[in-house]
Amino acid sequence: MIGLDIHEPQSLEEAFALLGDDESTARPMGGGTALMLMMKARLFKPSALVSLAKADPRFHGIHLSSDGKAFTIGAMTTFAALEHHDAIAKHLPVITQTMVTLANPRVRNVATIGGNLAHADPHLDLPPVWLSLDSSIRTIGPAGERIVPLADFFAGYYETNLLPGELIMQVHVPVSPGWRRRYVKITTRSAHDWPAVGIALGLQMQAELCTDVRIVLSAATDRPLRLEAAESILRGQKLTPGRIADAAQATGDIHIESDSRGSADYKAHLLKVHLARALQDLSE
Amino acid sequence: MSNQRIVNFTLNGEKSTAIVRGGETLVELLQNKFDLKGARESCGQGLCGCCTVLVNGSAVAGCLMLAWFVDGADVQTIEGLANGNNLDPVQEAFIEAGAFQCGFCTSGFILMTKKLLSEHPDPSDEEIRHYLIGNLCRCSAYPEIIEAVHLAAAKMRVLARA
Repeated sequence: MIGLDIHEPQSLEEAFALLGDDESTARPMGGGTALMLMMKARLFKPSALVSLAKADPRFHGIHLSSDGKAFTIGAMTTFAALEHHDAIAKHLPVITQTMVTLANPRVRNVATIGGNLAHADPHLDLPPVWLSLDSSIRTIGPAGERIVPLADFFAGYYETNLLPGELIMQVHVPVSPGWRRRYVKITTRSAHDWPAVGIALGLQMQAELCTDVRIVLSAATDRPLRLEAAESILRGQKLTPGRIADAAQATGDIHIESDSRGSADYKAHLLKVHLARALQDLSE
Repeated sequence: MSNQRIVNFTLNGEKSTAIVRGGETLVELLQNKFDLKGARESCGQGLCGCCTVLVNGSAVAGCLMLAWFVDGADVQTIEGLANGNNLDPVQEAFIEAGAFQCGFCTSGFILMTKKLLSEHPDPSDEEIRHYLIGNLCRCSAYPEIIEAVHLAAAKMRVLARA
């Protein structure tokens, strides 16, 4: 990594200038954990890293809106800050629950939520959870700000729909009282491994009726994927064992990719079994 | 020049200065410029814990952190833990429990245990296993390590009462 330039711009304008045009191999940097891995493995050799730590205060902080309806979380927020935040634990406990399954305390002290999203590895744990929470991203670039629903953010393996020069500034997360949520991380080699399959679930129940539902699959396709066919079988219905089995069967058409944590067939089987179990648990 | 800089930081309580290159990691800086070999790169991916360093009180993977960013920071390594010839209670506990064989991973385990006990003064086995999930001991001294953490916690409680 000899010859790597590092910059810490003090303003957004400075950051945009340093990052240059679409041809540039200068890269914005959050905590740098994923970038360092790619650089060490020689998968990627940036000409420069541009730390966003000091570029703008809006990249920092965890704020609950005054009406209590949504969180705005700066992209430079570390996983540890999210993990130990009282209001997050109270209003978005699924985030706190997911954090403890994610890497280890040292990585969580450094890695940021913005870097995690920009990395766009479909095996990451947090993106499917953000998606199941109907989150969106506020981006900022030379041409101004945009709100991008998370559902439209990922373009494929390590690819996002960010425009040239655009940066992830904040994540907006609606608070959804009354929803039951869970992130199911299925590992096949050791407890702290990357997932073979990840399932982010949200259930809104009224008495015995499932009034709304979110099911997001990760680590099995080229990006986190909402399982709408399974959702539509459950929405507005009583979650009987038969109904849950039908929803799990409805995942059979998904084109799942094999990787070193499991073959496509095995992952499809894991998905069916663990989705049904989690739905049963959450609906009780 | 933005591919090298001077960093000023506190290293184990002493003001320190070094010239670092853009791609240099914190472990490389500590090993090559300060002759501190306790934090060492093993897996190189932040998974094994052998490169643990405390930066501004937070445990980080020294093999994934660029030395560039320690400017202005307070850096603590295993070498700064003992007070002269008096070992830290966590170091004593690891020796007394025989919580290592080759010792390669031990400095990382000890620094992580310091952090664990600052957050959970009397951790359960489950809390210990969870907190140390990213520290690997290839000699597999795990039962003794858990015993050492309990022993260290007891020692620190006695010290706190004294």
